Amino acid sequence: MKMADGVTMLRRNRPGTKAKDFCRWPDEPFEEMDSTLVVQQFIQQQICHDPMNVAQILTPPEGQDEGVWKYEHLRQFCLELNGLAVRLQAECHPETCTQMTATEQWIFLCAAHKTPKECPAIDYTRHTLDGAACLLNSNKYFPSRVSIKDSSVAKLGSVCRRVYRIFSHAYFHHRAIFDEFENTTYLCRRFTSFVIKYNLMSRDNLIVPILEDEAALQTESEA
Amino acid sequence: MKVPDYYYLPGMEDNSSQNHNGQLDPSGGGNVSNKQNDDGNQRTQYSIPGILHFIQHEWAKFELERSQWEVERAELQARIAFLQGERKGQENVKSDLVRRIKMLEYALKQERAKFHKLKYGTELQQGDMKPPVFDDVVSDAKLEADAPFTSVSNISWRQGRQLLRQYLQEIGYADTILDVRSNRVRSLLGLNNNAEGEENLNNSSSPAVNGNESSNKRASETQGRRTPAKKTQPSSLTEAMILDTEAAVMANFEFLSPDVDMDDDDDMSDDLDDQQDDETDDVKTAKRKNKSLLMNEGLADDVDAEAEEVLNELNLLTESEDAQNELRASGGPPALGFAGSSRRPMGALGDDEGLDSSLGLGELAQLTVNNEAEAAYDISSSKEAYRKMWNAKYTLRSHFDGVRALAFHPTEPVLITASEDHTLKLWNLQKTVPAKKSASLDVEPLYTFRSHTGPVLCLAMSGTGENCYSGGLDGLIQCWSLPSPNIDPYDSFDPSVLTGSLVGHTDAVWGLSIHNQRMQLLSCGADGLVCLWSPQNKAPLLSTFTSPEDGQPTSVDFVHNETNQMVAAYNSSHCVIYDLETGKPVTRLETNQAENVTQDKQINRVVTHPTLPLTVTAHEDRHIRFFDNVSGKMVHSMVAHLDAVTSLAIDPNGLYLLSGSHDCSIRLWNLDNKTCVQEITAHRKKFDESIYDVAFHPSKPYIASAGADALAKVFV
Repeated sequence: MKMADGVTMLRRNRPGTKAKDFCRWPDEPFEEMDSTLVVQQFIQQQICHDPMNVAQILTPPEGQDEGVWKYEHLRQFCLELNGLAVRLQAECHPETCTQMTATEQWIFLCAAHKTPKECPAIDYTRHTLDGAACLLNSNKYFPSRVSIKDSSVAKLGSVCRRVYRIFSHAYFHHRAIFDEFENTTYLCRRFTSFVIKYNLMSRDNLIVPILEDEAALQTESEA
Repeated sequence: MKVPDYYYLPGMEDNSSQNHNGQLDPSGGGNVSNKQNDDGNQRTQYSIPGILHFIQHEWAKFELERSQWEVERAELQARIAFLQGERKGQENVKSDLVRRIKMLEYALKQERAKFHKLKYGTELQQGDMKPPVFDDVVSDAKLEADAPFTSVSNISWRQGRQLLRQYLQEIGYADTILDVRSNRVRSLLGLNNNAEGEENLNNSSSPAVNGNESSNKRASETQGRRTPAKKTQPSSLTEAMILDTEAAVMANFEFLSPDVDMDDDDDMSDDLDDQQDDETDDVKTAKRKNKSLLMNEGLADDVDAEAEEVLNELNLLTESEDAQNELRASGGPPALGFAGSSRRPMGALGDDEGLDSSLGLGELAQLTVNNEAEAAYDISSSKEAYRKMWNAKYTLRSHFDGVRALAFHPTEPVLITASEDHTLKLWNLQKTVPAKKSASLDVEPLYTFRSHTGPVLCLAMSGTGENCYSGGLDGLIQCWSLPSPNIDPYDSFDPSVLTGSLVGHTDAVWGLSIHNQRMQLLSCGADGLVCLWSPQNKAPLLSTFTSPEDGQPTSVDFVHNETNQMVAAYNSSHCVIYDLETGKPVTRLETNQAENVTQDKQINRVVTHPTLPLTVTAHEDRHIRFFDNVSGKMVHSMVAHLDAVTSLAIDPNGLYLLSGSHDCSIRLWNLDNKTCVQEITAHRKKFDESIYDVAFHPSKPYIASAGADALAKVFV
């Protein structure tokens, strides 16, 4: 699939490529990438390489602008969350989950409407992801993918907060789906580490006990 | 008369008017009057200084107002002149269009005659077949009226140029660059400034004659001037003009765009005319005045593009397609990355190719400039279908990863994009986001289709626009029913949008094609299968075609001018036409590969012409190849891009071909003579990929491109 004539390697998914060969090319070192979408390329490469290695995926390369790094990661999270949304679409019905809740404490209102509306959980999920797509792609706040305006960095935090609720709803109400998804993608773990590392959300909001599980597993294995 | 009021308010004015007049000591006079004001606010106190102050002040005020009026009047006059010029331009365009319509009708009659003759072996009786004679509608009466414009244009042209130079400097374009470029163009185009001088003498002696001969001569001379390399042109041109209306008018249009660097407007105005008594010189001049001003807007990039175009066109005309495309390709897109150089359709009206090629160089070189001017001016860029320049209008940004496929709705300005971020999105081009930059409008999606668990690779829209089908890396083909284009983007989830999925492929589905009349769907996948489906049936899978010796199928299409046939292209660069009823291959399209078949030449996309038995394939080795369906022979092959050609689209009328490539460019080709009409640079690269898909709208003048940078762009 990839053309290896010794001189140039074309990283392309040509038509006719098998699913297992998709994006199966040797990793390109960050320094050698020269397109405008280097950060996205790099992140996707790292994830393909080892989805479990959260620390490595979240480590920016030398001299990388932090705003852009956060932005591209958030785009990648929203991209991958589609998988969870698809699974939820099958099971999360407006009749069963009439509101977006996680624990009994809070009801989350969907901010995608003119006035915040109490959407059913599946609508909340879809609207949040669509709204995040609009915001992260909007020319007004994020006109460029290689530099982020300081005023727009604050938007990333609010997107993270809303997106996290999808995880928490899935964890508390559709545990099976959550576990299945998490075991293949490790997305919640990565997301939680991401927001903690870059301080995008307050710790109180991180109600999915994902890292404690991990810590517990580690202590068990040590013991 | 309130004298005291004026003491305070215009204190400054009083002083200034006094300074002008120098009558009294300003401060003293002011103080006196102020003291007087303090003392007697209510009582009017007349004193000589006071009266003098008052009168002076009034005078100053009147003077001020008068000067304001003068300024306003001048502005309004300028506006009037401008509007008049615009109106004139519009009228000229209109008459151009009418002429063109007549020519097209004539051409159509000719074609019909030809066709009839070929088909039936007899002559078609269709009455009067004379080429349309254009009356000297706008006659001498206009001459005088328009005479003053010529002198004005010269000065205003210079001023305009100065202004533009200044603007360009502001944006960082140094004078030196401009000079260098203008010199290049000058050397390429306007070499014989001496020859011009002679012509001008000749022409000035007969300023407004519209007779054939003089116009022929002039045309040939100017033609000769512009294309010094082609000495044979004048003679052929003369013959052609007498014989062929359209070609003559095509050459005529060339004269509308003046040489960029010639300063003698007045002389040029005499040169500009047409060969068939269409318009007078001066009407043209007025039109040219507009164009020249506006053309200068695109000066910098035009000049460079023009120079490149001229170079390229020289080769294009004389050599074989391959070589010339190489050269053009090596010339590369214009340095500035503007909307690309434009090329007129050569012989878009279907004339003798020989004539067109001889007209080609000068015509195309000039037409490049002309087009840019029109695009800049924006009133006429969308008027004439044949010389349409596609400009980016809408940018669709909402996907998180590359957009792999897109499809237009058959009737509405609606399209669907499919992306590697596992989603499809529905867009309505009429719902744009108010954007700060007016260059290109942003659109937000109306609906997101989520169901695939892997990148969505291909898309097909049904003929009615109610359903669409998408195939993805997960091997599923999902059937969707489209929500209305007017829904609220944040509506509740409606699970019935996904109407079903077609299961059959065991690996990624790379190609989808739909046959609108028969409601059948073709798909091909990386599992080596080409499947035919009828989605409405209970058991949708109708049949499967495999061809192990050809490798993986990469693209499929129904053959449009035959029923029951489809063409499948493989990554071994083979291409086979199958009969759908029997499942047997009917024709193998001859793709000449003598040696080992590598994936270097793999076919990325195959499309069939809507009416002719023609199949077009896009290859990884930068070529586009044309095959005849009946014989299987390769009709034409050309190097189309700098990098692999990834996608093709044929317009619904079958006249143009769009191709997209990983070299970040989209090219529009005229199918009659396989020349590139326009190149647009769009999209950025991700890894080594750039443009995945291109499409025409079936009924509206839109084209779209899908890129790896997660954007889709729509051009009008």
